[in-house]
Amino acid sequence: MIECDVLVIGGGMAGWFAAIKAREQGLNVLLADKGYVSKSGETIYAGDTAVFDPDAGNDLAAWLEQVDVIGEYMNNRHWNELVFRDSRERLADLRSYGVQFEEKDGRVVRLPHPHANIVLPDTHKFPPTVSEVVHWLPGFPEKVRKHLIKIGVKLKDRFMVTELLLQDGRVAGAIGFSIEGNRVEVIKAKAVVMSAGGGGFRPVGYPTHELTADGHAMAYRAGATITSKEFVSPHSTNPKDPAWPPMYLFFSAGHSAAQPGMYSAPHLFNAEGDEVAARGVAWHGWIDAEYEAHEGRAPLIADLGKRGVLPVSGPGGHGSMFGHATGGIVPVNDDCATEVPGLYAAGDSCGTCFIGANYSGFGFATAHAAATGARAGLGAAAEAKGLGADGGIDEKAVAAATARLLEPLERKGGFTPNWVTQVLQNTLAPYFVLYVKHGDRLQAALSTVEFLRDHIAPKLYARDDHELRLAHETKNMILNAEMKVRSSLARTESRGTHYREDFPGRNDEEWLAWMRLKQEDGRMVTFKQPIPAEWRPDAAKSYEERYPMRLPNEVPGSGAPNAAGEGR
Amino acid sequence: MTIEKIDLDLCTGCGICIDSCPMDVIRMDRAGQKAVIRYPQECMNCEQCALDCPEEAVTVTPYKTVPLISSWG
Repeated sequence: MIECDVLVIGGGMAGWFAAIKAREQGLNVLLADKGYVSKSGETIYAGDTAVFDPDAGNDLAAWLEQVDVIGEYMNNRHWNELVFRDSRERLADLRSYGVQFEEKDGRVVRLPHPHANIVLPDTHKFPPTVSEVVHWLPGFPEKVRKHLIKIGVKLKDRFMVTELLLQDGRVAGAIGFSIEGNRVEVIKAKAVVMSAGGGGFRPVGYPTHELTADGHAMAYRAGATITSKEFVSPHSTNPKDPAWPPMYLFFSAGHSAAQPGMYSAPHLFNAEGDEVAARGVAWHGWIDAEYEAHEGRAPLIADLGKRGVLPVSGPGGHGSMFGHATGGIVPVNDDCATEVPGLYAAGDSCGTCFIGANYSGFGFATAHAAATGARAGLGAAAEAKGLGADGGIDEKAVAAATARLLEPLERKGGFTPNWVTQVLQNTLAPYFVLYVKHGDRLQAALSTVEFLRDHIAPKLYARDDHELRLAHETKNMILNAEMKVRSSLARTESRGTHYREDFPGRNDEEWLAWMRLKQEDGRMVTFKQPIPAEWRPDAAKSYEERYPMRLPNEVPGSGAPNAAGEGR
Repeated sequence: MTIEKIDLDLCTGCGICIDSCPMDVIRMDRAGQKAVIRYPQECMNCEQCALDCPEEAVTVTPYKTVPLISSWG
C-alpha cells in the first residue's frame, strides 16, 4: 500500500496544477497517470490558452457575453468569471515553471480569438468574439514534468486507477494497476483530485483514444453528480485518410491558432454544388454539415481559397470526441470539491459548465483546466491538512475492489474488449445518433447500450495486462454512452451542439436548465438544475437575437416536435 | 497500417517512443534492447513516437487497417 496526502489522478494541465499547488503546501503528493505525464490525454494537442487581462484592456462583460451567446446560456457565469480572473496568475505560474511563450519585447504576445476575424457568408451570422489567447512554444509539457519532479511530486506513470475507495462515506484512496506488469496497488490518500479528462469512444481522426471518461465513471460510481453530457465536441476529418490527424488539423484548426491563415473563411459546398451555411466550419456545430449528409448531399468540399479544396467528413464518422470544459463531475464550491467528501474534480473531469452548449472560445479548455486544477489542488491540500491521523481502509473493501479490478483477467473466457468497443462505436458513431438526434433513434441506441451494460460488460475478458486496461476502459465507455444517450433523450429541445430533429428549436421556457444525472438505487436518473434567473437571456430580445446561430428546420422557441421532422 | 515499423538497425533502445505513446502500442523487447511494436491495433496515428525518436527509426503512415474482430477468442 502506498500512502500520500493528496492523490491526483490524471496528469494533464489540470493534474499538473493540482499536484503543484498541493505540493507547495508542503504535502506528500502522488500524481498517477495511465499514460506518461507530459504525453497523456490532450496534453499534446494543447496549443494555446485564453488569458483575461484587464490591464490589456480586456472587458469582463464583453468576455462573458461571448460565452453567453455562443454557449447558448448553458455556461456557468460564476465559473466563467473565476476562470477568467485566475487566468493571468496561471500564465505567470506556467512561466515560473519554465514554460516559454511567444514573446515580443519581454511580453507574452496576445492574439485575438481566431474567430474574431472570420468572414462568413451573408446567410450566416456568427456571434462576436472578443477573447484573446497566448501560445506556448513547443516542449512545454516536458518543462512542467521537470518542474513536477524538481519540487518533489511523485509521478506514477502507466498506472491506471480503476476505482475510488471509500471509507465511512469519504474518499480514502484509490486502487489501480501498473499497465506494464498488472501489479495491483492501493493508494491511500487524505484527499483525491480527479483530473482524468473527458471521454469519447476512440474517435477516428482525433487521436485521443485513451480518453475514455474514466474520471467521470469513477466519480459517478462513488456517488457524484454528472452534468451536461448531451453536448458534443465535434471535429472534422478527411474522407481519404480519416485516421490521419494532420488532415484534421489542416481543416478544423483545433489547436493550430499559431497559423493565422487557418481562419480565413473556408466555404463548404455540398455534392450538388450548393454552398452550405458555414456555421459548421467554425467548429461549433457541424450540424449543417451533418444535415447535408442526412439529406443525401454528402460528401462536402471545403474551398480553402489559395490553399485549394479539401473533401471533408463530419464528426458523425468519429463518434463524439469529448465534452470539453463543460460536462463532468459537478463541483459544489469554488475549490472544486464534489458531493463525495474528499473528492475534488478539475479540468475536463470537472463539470463547471464553463463553456456552455458550444465551444465558446479558443484556449478556454486549457484556461479552465489550469484554474480548476489550482483550485482543486489547494482545496484538497487544505482538507488533507485538516485531517488527523487517517483511519485506514477496510480490508474487506480493498479485497472486493481488487477482485473487481482483476475480474477480466481471472475469467476463463468472455468477450474481448476490442470487439465490445467496436459494437459501441457502431452504436454511437453514426451521425444520426449523437449529432442529428431523434428520440426514436436514441431509444434504440439506449437498448443496445443497456444490453452491453447488463450482459456484455460483466463478461469482458482480458488475456494480459494490456487487455486489462482495455477492459476497464471499455466498461467506462459503456457507462459514458449511457450518460450521453440518457441526457440527450431527456433534453427535449435543441441547443448548441445538441440538435434534436424531433425538437428543432431552443425552448427557453422549459430548458434554461442543466441536465444532471446520478446513481439512485443502482439506476441512472436524470434531473434538471435550473439556470439562475439572473443569467438567463433577456426575454425582451427576439429569439433570433438571443440565438444568432440557425438550426436546420428550426421552429423558433417551440421546442415542440416538428411535423416535418417526425417519422424520419 | 498506422505505426508501420521501427527500424531495428537505427533503434538504440532508449525507450523514448514507449513513453511517447499514449496507447501502449510499443514495448521493449524481452532483452530490453530494442523497442518493438507490440499492440499495433491500438495505434491512433498521433505520430508522437515518430516525432520524438531521436534516431528517426519509427515510420507512421496515414493508413489504418481495421482488423476483423470476432466477439470471442
